[in-house]
Amino acid sequence: MECVFGLVGNGFAIVAADTSAVHSILVHKSNEDKIMILDSHKLIAASGESGDRVQFTEYIQKNVALYQFRNGIPLTTAAAANFTRGELATALRKNPYFVNILLAGYDKETGPSLYYIDYIATLHKVDKGAFGYGSYFSLAMMDRHYHSGMTVEEAIDLVDKCIMEIRSRLVVAPPNFVIKIVDKDGAREYAWRESVKDAEVASA
Amino acid sequence: MTKQQANWSPYDNNGGSCVAIAGADYCVVAADTRMSTGYNILTRDYSKLCKLADKCVMASSGFQADVKALQKHLAARHLIYQHQHNKQMSCPAMAQLLSNTLYYKRFFPYYSFNVLGGLDNEGKGCVFTYDAVGSYEKVGYSSLGSGSTLIMPFLDNQLKSPSPLLLPAQDAVTPLVEAEAVDLVKTVFASASERDIYTGDKLEIVVINADGIHREYMDLRKD
Amino acid sequence: MKLDTSGLESAEPVWATFNELADGFSAAPSFELPNTTDFDGFQKEAIQMVKPAKGTTTLAFIFKEGVMVAADSRASMGGYISSQSVKKIIEINPYMLGTMAGGAADCQFWHRNLGIKCRLHELANKRRISVTGASKLLANILYSYRGMGLSVGTMIAGWDETGPGLYYVDSEGGRLKGMRFSVGSGSPYAYGVLDSGYRYDMSVEEAAELARRAIYHATFRDGASGGVASVYHVGPNGWKKLSGDDVGELHYKYYPVMPSTVEQEMVEVAGA
Repeated sequence: MECVFGLVGNGFAIVAADTSAVHSILVHKSNEDKIMILDSHKLIAASGESGDRVQFTEYIQKNVALYQFRNGIPLTTAAAANFTRGELATALRKNPYFVNILLAGYDKETGPSLYYIDYIATLHKVDKGAFGYGSYFSLAMMDRHYHSGMTVEEAIDLVDKCIMEIRSRLVVAPPNFVIKIVDKDGAREYAWRESVKDAEVASA
Repeated sequence: MTKQQANWSPYDNNGGSCVAIAGADYCVVAADTRMSTGYNILTRDYSKLCKLADKCVMASSGFQADVKALQKHLAARHLIYQHQHNKQMSCPAMAQLLSNTLYYKRFFPYYSFNVLGGLDNEGKGCVFTYDAVGSYEKVGYSSLGSGSTLIMPFLDNQLKSPSPLLLPAQDAVTPLVEAEAVDLVKTVFASASERDIYTGDKLEIVVINADGIHREYMDLRKD
Repeated sequence: MKLDTSGLESAEPVWATFNELADGFSAAPSFELPNTTDFDGFQKEAIQMVKPAKGTTTLAFIFKEGVMVAADSRASMGGYISSQSVKKIIEINPYMLGTMAGGAADCQFWHRNLGIKCRLHELANKRRISVTGASKLLANILYSYRGMGLSVGTMIAGWDETGPGLYYVDSEGGRLKGMRFSVGSGSPYAYGVLDSGYRYDMSVEEAAELARRAIYHATFRDGASGGVASVYHVGPNGWKKLSGDDVGELHYKYYPVMPSTVEQEMVEVAGA
């Protein structure tokens, strides 16, 4: 089942997510990228119902872009997180979006940051956070091994530890993960951790 | 807007069976004339057939109030069509109109199960069957309504027209001549009224061919 | 009470000229809603009355020569087979196919609606719509009706300027791009055959046989699937139906009846 987690290091933030698209007992796809690059220096990792996940993250992405077009400056990570929370809170009393979000970003002034936002519109700034069934394992792993000012190598090592733990202990563990990073140079894909290859590769 | 009682339903099932068979140059549409609710027979003489256009007849079972509303709606749409195009609607066009009309009530369905029979533009018989919310399919023959589970296997056994999905394609219309088809319809209804309490009283048969529409009746069990 | 249905409207006001005529006959099409305070409860009861046809096997996959699409043709209501000749592969336009799983009317109607939208796109832009665009059009419409009880599980397969395209779209608003999908109650069985036999560099004949086989094995194990196994291929020049075989006959083609050797002859009981 779904596993999304992330952490803040020294000058960067990392988020990782599983890449399985599941319907009841069927895995329809094992390379579905659930981490969207929101703008040049922001990442939004989302878990939840497939329709809501895509529709909501795209909606946020487009509105963040609109703000930048209108005002000539991008939203800070904190502002984007508060905007996202606001939209979830408004929707909550009408037709809720069932999406949980980890928002990672890098700002010149404040450095890297990570925000935990769940579908009932809780907003919390965190050093490390997780959603889904994988959170039981990854939260404990991160509590034990996380320390402030981690290097990229240490952080990736910790992410890999979390992935290994999920794969070995979770009954319904997803096979593949994607890891993305954001630092002063921008938001980008860092690596894939795949134990099952989808047919996608063949077409390339 | 008034508040409704929790256990009140806007629907009822009045029963009845409908059959339509397409032939090479004719189409037979038939239905019994019994209308019931629960164990009560409301009337023994209620026509379930409705002529929608010159070469298009609809037979409907289910909830007859919804059916009447549907028939009136289609009649009005067909009148508008005639004013705009100065011609009768073709059977395939009426088929799609019926589908859309049913689907526009997707969230508050017409509780009606319809078969549409008629002649297409080449004069060949055609039958379209529907579910209550408008999915439709062109077939060689069909039966709908309370007795359909008794009638349909019988028609399958007697007609077994090749599936229209087969490749190489085979003609889906039935090999029977008109008189044989009418006889078959009479037989299936006589059989259905033996075992279905909602089918009986009288059988109304409409035959559509190049000469126009011809109607006949046959008595069924009245118990 | 009427539901706002911008999803039904095309870019051009096709209906606008006849507005003086009676309401409900020529106004822009819209969905009537029941006057009830408990819409969910009403839907639940209404759906019970018009029992949707369930049980299907559909599949589609991309390979070297394009997209292969296949489906069975059965519709059942509980234990009763209500049809053996359902057209579950819907021809949206000459370059695009949709498959049908879930509510038959929901699939048929919205694919017809999508066909209209694709044609209007073509007329407005002087080029065919991409599979990506068409599938998103459908996903957005279905998403706007979420929670209202639509039931659609479809694959949009086609060929556009970027080559073959395949998307899975459902009524929860989900939309997945992929190389290989199967939808419906028989899909686990179909996946089993499909995954083990799939190669990207298959020929059209090999791919068609794989698709047919996958549908056949699904109909063999899944009681809710059956009838005719239809196979379509979408290539650069549009789609073409390759085959339609009764799965009952396919069974004897794949597994001919062998005269079995008699192990023991029955003998008369001596002196009863």
